[in-house]
Amino acid sequence: MKKLSRNQTFLLITIPVLALFFCFNTLPLIKGLMYSFTNFKGFGSYDWVGFRNYADLFSDARVGKSYLFTFKFAVVATILTNVIALLLALGLNGKIRAKSALRGVYFVPRILGGLVVGYIFGYIFTYILPAVTGGSSMLSNTKTAWFAIVIVAAWQSIAQTTLIYISGLQTVPEDVYEAGAIDGATGWKSFKNLTFPLIIPFFSINLVLSMKDFLMVFDQIMAMTKGGPAQSTESISYLIYNNGMGGGQFGFQSANAVIFFIVIVAISVFQLNFTGKKEEQL
Amino acid sequence: MKKRLIATALVAAMLIGTVLSASGCSSESSDGKTHITILQYKQEAVKAFETMQEEFNATHDDIVLEIESPNDAMTVLKTRFIKEKAPDIIGIGGDVNYSNFLDAEILMDISDFEGLSLIKQAYLDIDKNLEFVPMDGIYAVPYVANAAGVLYNRDMFKKNGWEIPTTWDEFMDLCETIKASGQQPLYFGFKDVWTCLAPWNALACDLAPADVCRQVNKGETVFKDEYREVSEKMLELLEHAQEDPFAYNYNDACTAFANGEAAMYCIGSYAVPQIQSVNPDMDIDSFVMPGCDTEADNILNSGVDLQFCVTNECKNKEAAYEVLSFLLEDSTIQTYLDDQNAVPCKNQEFKLSPALDGMLDYINEGRIVDYQDHYYPSEMSVDAQIQTFLLNGDVDKFLDKFDTDWVRYNRDIIRKVQEYEEKGGNK
Amino acid sequence: MKQKNRVAATTNWPLTILLIVGCLTVIFPLYMTIIIAFKKPSEMTNDIAGLLSLPKTWSLENFAEAMRVTDFWHSLGYSVMITIVTVVLAILIHSLAGYAIGRSMAKSRFYKVSYLYIVSGMFVPFAILMMPLVKQTAQMGVDNWFGVILCYLVFYMPMNVMLYTGYLKNIPIALEEAAFVDGATTWQTYWKVIFPIMSPMHATVAVLTALGTWNDVMTPLVIMSGTGANTLPLAQLTFQTQFGTNYNLAFASYLLALLPILVFYLICQKQIINGVVNGAVK
Repeated sequence: MKKLSRNQTFLLITIPVLALFFCFNTLPLIKGLMYSFTNFKGFGSYDWVGFRNYADLFSDARVGKSYLFTFKFAVVATILTNVIALLLALGLNGKIRAKSALRGVYFVPRILGGLVVGYIFGYIFTYILPAVTGGSSMLSNTKTAWFAIVIVAAWQSIAQTTLIYISGLQTVPEDVYEAGAIDGATGWKSFKNLTFPLIIPFFSINLVLSMKDFLMVFDQIMAMTKGGPAQSTESISYLIYNNGMGGGQFGFQSANAVIFFIVIVAISVFQLNFTGKKEEQL
Repeated sequence: MKKRLIATALVAAMLIGTVLSASGCSSESSDGKTHITILQYKQEAVKAFETMQEEFNATHDDIVLEIESPNDAMTVLKTRFIKEKAPDIIGIGGDVNYSNFLDAEILMDISDFEGLSLIKQAYLDIDKNLEFVPMDGIYAVPYVANAAGVLYNRDMFKKNGWEIPTTWDEFMDLCETIKASGQQPLYFGFKDVWTCLAPWNALACDLAPADVCRQVNKGETVFKDEYREVSEKMLELLEHAQEDPFAYNYNDACTAFANGEAAMYCIGSYAVPQIQSVNPDMDIDSFVMPGCDTEADNILNSGVDLQFCVTNECKNKEAAYEVLSFLLEDSTIQTYLDDQNAVPCKNQEFKLSPALDGMLDYINEGRIVDYQDHYYPSEMSVDAQIQTFLLNGDVDKFLDKFDTDWVRYNRDIIRKVQEYEEKGGNK
Repeated sequence: MKQKNRVAATTNWPLTILLIVGCLTVIFPLYMTIIIAFKKPSEMTNDIAGLLSLPKTWSLENFAEAMRVTDFWHSLGYSVMITIVTVVLAILIHSLAGYAIGRSMAKSRFYKVSYLYIVSGMFVPFAILMMPLVKQTAQMGVDNWFGVILCYLVFYMPMNVMLYTGYLKNIPIALEEAAFVDGATTWQTYWKVIFPIMSPMHATVAVLTALGTWNDVMTPLVIMSGTGANTLPLAQLTFQTQFGTNYNLAFASYLLALLPILVFYLICQKQIINGVVNGAVK
């Protein structure tokens, strides 16, 4: 048998993978795109409505508000999550006792289901925190409810982000530190000059992954506020799911999903390019 | 090492797969019998439906009945229509989903089904009203209904000698009396937006025309006029709520009411099982929301909680009717009532839950009006709009938005209704 | 090995203690979950002392009832099967794809575009894909557990390909060149050299993919509906009906479902650390 060249091998791997991906991602997306030009309810008969859904989208104050909320939420949650997760990963990767047990404990939030998280944190915000601080519930105030969701969402996703940072830290060879220690680099300086540049690929992956997760926030909102109080925490995904799947707005929300998709792709391409340039500089 | 691990894992998974598929369902319709499937959305009633299925299959040789009660049934149902594997009969609520199913032309006209004559006219009318545009024929058999108003703690009322209010002023006075005695009159779970609809619907039954949504669609009136009093009375109710009712959810409110933290709770009969799960011995009764100034004007808020429709996919109408007839037999209905807290739509006396005592006269007289929210498109999120309004207390802003949003979310329906009217309406 | 011992000897106690204190943010919610799982519905109250108190009896009744209601072993079987097959296939297919694309994307436009194409798929809201996917899997005759696995392989492809290509950036190409010199094909080099080196990343991918599939409700709900098969999260929906939630049974059931995945995580975590030792030896 003729030996395959390196490029041929790569093609033989890539093409079936792309085909699979096309079949279960792009193809349904194209069909969804089609629905965005109809008044489809999700079942039964429907009519073509042209660009009406898109025109409506741009004049819908509720959609606009959901974009503002989602982006404010995602930016704050991404920053909070990545700062804490990076610190936690450094800590858990440090010279500590009970490493496995600690790593195990910090991973639990990611496994708890939405019902549990909703109930427990609902309880904490409704009963325990007001009793401790003497204030009222964060969840019943339109000014603070979004931050309560940031806290819960970050609490859950720190586990995954930390895990990725920890596996990133494994690619940093021990001798880098030793070489650094000889030069007198310790603490912050060692992190900034030695560790961080080496884990930048993981930093950018985590930024993209957590940004994506937070932009698509849905579970925590269903569990904590269901969009309330006063519709102040309706995320884009919440509208797409609830009004598209649950309600009769399938066509309209498909249009919303298409626009949302384009917006996030644009952001992440920008993000990837930006961190990609950073990587090259180093 | 790694490869061996992976191979072992795959083999293990395949083994599980074989075991699971071997033990899975093997009932293919190769037995020459007619198979009728029902998909019903009351997951909590799964036990009652299992009993019904056994009963039916034990007494029928030619038809095999399969009842599915999946979790998140409405999503499952929609996927079945997409997959073109729709069940023969669906058991759904009489709400906007039913209207949408009708509009999507996926249900069969069953006006020749004899069992319909056994159903209370009030509930058949309610279903008729759910049609966006009046249609020929009948598309659903109302099975059981629920009712909403005010639940109260009978022991607390007895101990303090409080009277059941029959007018709005009496109701407000009662709240003042309860408050003056150092107790909590009402408890709300407004963090869950849908609970805002419970008092809203009950008040709207009393104060707004039953077909207000259809009137608006025809362009005959606007919500700003019809819902003003409802909105103002909602704000009055709120004055008697616990502190910060928007911090507590449905479950908190049920638990608080069950533990005697409040004397009354504006919610439907459907909440009774949840309340009694916390306090099984609690003596709960209910009264009709006294929204009007005279008792005679009050109307009970009651809607179809479960109804059966035959889908267009059904191949054997006769067999489906046979199943429907079986479901309407007194003993079958009693099986359901023993398991669930409900009001049967069949025109016959059944033994009902004591929690419905205060509503019994209204039920028997048919003095009922459907939940207003059954006409609201769910994507308009009227429940969230009511919550917003209760938070800021601005009646005009709320009603203006209600009217503009209504037109926006119901555009296609309004167009259909007006086309229908132009063609001469139902005359 | 000598170095390793020296490192272990100097435990960073302040850090260890800080991390243990931080655990409280996880332990407290977990404590609430556990006590609620043991309580009876009639023990539920809204006052803080009542809720945080221990259950009257430590009976396993809730767990037994939860297992009965969810048809535990059957549902667990489906969950385990779907998760294992997805994880194994994901590791094999996604790592290969990550390798082919990661090693070529710097040089070739085709691979760069393929990478962006796959990664951008991550941002498609599931809601828009859902209905078309339901129809498509039904038409292809895979509206069953196998179809669910196919969907997962596509859903997790963007994240996993990103993770693998990111990890590969820190693996020197020189390692492969040595194998080429010995006359190995790219295919052989991959399995003999690269695949083993990436084991910390395999473990990470395994954990993240397993978690996603283990907890997911939506995909099996819409794709497997009507087959009579349930996964655990699907069966757990039983506890939440329209007008009532049995938190006690639900929490017991969630705890039961949490254990297998936590054990899996701890095993994988060992792999991530072992990977370092291997890496350090090289």
